[in-house]
Amino acid sequence: MTGRDPGVSGDPMTFMDDHARTTFAAIAERLIPAAHGMPSAADVVNEARLAFVLRSRPDLLEPFLAALRPELGDDPDARLATLGRDEPANLGALQLVLVGGYYTDKRVKQGIGYPGQEAIELRSWEVPPYLEEGLIDAVLARGQVWRDPATGVRAVIDGSTKTYAERYWSAERRPEGGNDGRDGS
Amino acid sequence: MTTEPADVLIIGAGASGGVVGRRLAEAGFSVVCLEQGDWHDRADYPGDKLDWELKARKDWATSPNIRGLPEDYPIVEHSPVSPLMYSGVGGSMLIFAGAWPRMLPSDFRVRSLDGIADDWPISYDELLPYFRQTDRDFGVSGLAGDPAYPPDPEDPPLPPLPIGAAGLKVARAHTRLGWHWWPEFNSILSAPYDGRRPCVQRSTCQSGCNEGAKASTDLTHWPKAIAKGARLVTGARVRRVETDAQGLASGATWIDRDGAEHFEPAKVVVLAANAIGTARLLLLSGDARHPEGLANSSGLVGKRLMMHPFANVAGLFDEPLMSWQGQFGDLIESLEFYETDERRGFVRGARWGLAPTGGPINTALPSRAGTQVWGPDHHLHVRSHLGHGANWGLFAEDLPDEANRVTLSDSVADSSGIAAPEVHYRMGDNARKMLDFHIERATESLLEAGAHSIEVDRLMRYSGWHLLGTARMGDDPATSVLDRWNRTHDVPNLYVVDGSSFVTSSGVNPTSTIVAIALRAAEHMIETRFEQQVPT
Repeated sequence: MTGRDPGVSGDPMTFMDDHARTTFAAIAERLIPAAHGMPSAADVVNEARLAFVLRSRPDLLEPFLAALRPELGDDPDARLATLGRDEPANLGALQLVLVGGYYTDKRVKQGIGYPGQEAIELRSWEVPPYLEEGLIDAVLARGQVWRDPATGVRAVIDGSTKTYAERYWSAERRPEGGNDGRDGS
Repeated sequence: MTTEPADVLIIGAGASGGVVGRRLAEAGFSVVCLEQGDWHDRADYPGDKLDWELKARKDWATSPNIRGLPEDYPIVEHSPVSPLMYSGVGGSMLIFAGAWPRMLPSDFRVRSLDGIADDWPISYDELLPYFRQTDRDFGVSGLAGDPAYPPDPEDPPLPPLPIGAAGLKVARAHTRLGWHWWPEFNSILSAPYDGRRPCVQRSTCQSGCNEGAKASTDLTHWPKAIAKGARLVTGARVRRVETDAQGLASGATWIDRDGAEHFEPAKVVVLAANAIGTARLLLLSGDARHPEGLANSSGLVGKRLMMHPFANVAGLFDEPLMSWQGQFGDLIESLEFYETDERRGFVRGARWGLAPTGGPINTALPSRAGTQVWGPDHHLHVRSHLGHGANWGLFAEDLPDEANRVTLSDSVADSSGIAAPEVHYRMGDNARKMLDFHIERATESLLEAGAHSIEVDRLMRYSGWHLLGTARMGDDPATSVLDRWNRTHDVPNLYVVDGSSFVTSSGVNPTSTIVAIALRAAEHMIETRFEQQVPT
């Protein structure tokens, strides 16, 4: 972890007054309500989650608060309609704060079966399934695809390999190719 | 402070600058590079952190206009496609996906084959040794034998990356359709190589690679160049290339982070600042002797900008594909419809690359094809999309058009007060017809693979990754800016080695070809070093 990582501590009350909090909760309930076994955003996106998002994206704070300002009224649907029509950037910030807070919550991630962007070890020494299934051989069997500038039509090469195994095990070409551990220098 | 002129001054530490810097330093040249961005510590990249998807939309956005970092310059856009780039050591490779297809033989003969645009002064065969060397230098993973290319006896240095469950489904579909597909070539390591670690399939390639598995010249080239004596100056924003009384480039004036101005003298100047940055700099370097900008006797500097109009076709599948994982450089590609078939109503073609689909925030607020769904059905939308998709990205060949161009803004400047570039661009009719055709075919592909529904973005705005053509090469100084060795016709010690040199765009991701051309230019500089005209 590094110094650029956002913390999840912090007090969003320093930038959200009671009206903004109430308005945000109403919007959250409207956009992502509890349904289909998932919790509502109003329940999930608490002060800690808001702080997490806004520490990561401090540029969102101003348009986020603008989208929650009292002048836009108490009706969440009317507010969303006004923002969509007249202030799409503020609406976008509101939606991103909401979604960002919701989908970085551990319980929500579990609910949608998303573990995050995981590090998965590659097994590049294994024969890929498409080779075993013969899918590459099917491509090779159809012949050349590239257009020969000399003729203007798809190239025809006499004696070109028709299977991957034929190419790979060709004694003639192995000394020049293969993944032979060159170090790239 | 007076400094001795470097043998070569490179402006820009990205893909092409890194290739030229390393090769010339290895050959014994004294090399200085000015880079307006900085080095990055890959431990800071957000891909392995909880807020990755939030950071990816701002600090790591691909558009400098969204990032707005001090080292970025603003771009005034008169264009449906936003140009994308990154300033830093490694350049836009830090945010590129890593797909590494080569241009094809026909791409160099567009006029001869299709009666449109222009032929290149060089051929695929001439580039082949440089493709091979740069594949080794960057560490390319792939499966040899792709019949979309002429047979090459040399394999990629590393075995292919996995194609994932989505790639396998589509590969099977193409087998049934009789269409070409192939595991994608990526400059992403499938195994340890050259001191670097392999890919871990996190799919966050466009926010910097935490593993260092994705190639970028801050990892693959600059450390080697510096070990050979190259000097890389970061936070150095070049204001203009200077010329002497003989009309030779004499160095560059640049501004540091504190606003102080400096002059870096050099015997040879190499521009490697991408097709917008390089054009901007040439235009900024005009003076009484060069009123239209430096190296611009042809009037073509900044013109013929090409950006590959891009469409995205997403297929949704019932079964889970875990498609938030996997290299964002593509899983597989198809070149089935790449070559011209005039019966389609257009010439040239597009490359398809199948890519992962992102995490839950991108699912809720899609940056590509797709819709937002709110209310109770939001949960059904996320469940049906997250990890259930496969994206065909369609890169259409962009034909050169002098009306598509880079100019200097008279009202917008960067943080150093230097005029910002203005991009004037529209998609041509040929490309529109091409994308429409390819969208239909890609839809067929995904339906054959079993997709239950298709979502299409017919022209994605934030897709201007491939910046090409604003200082084209050619044999005739009246109709080109550069000669076949990337040297400007007008200034014999001024080179341009980035994608500006492209005569036509092809329909493939260009970085592999850009760096091969850059290496070829560097080798020529070495071969002709004793004939090189330099300031006295």
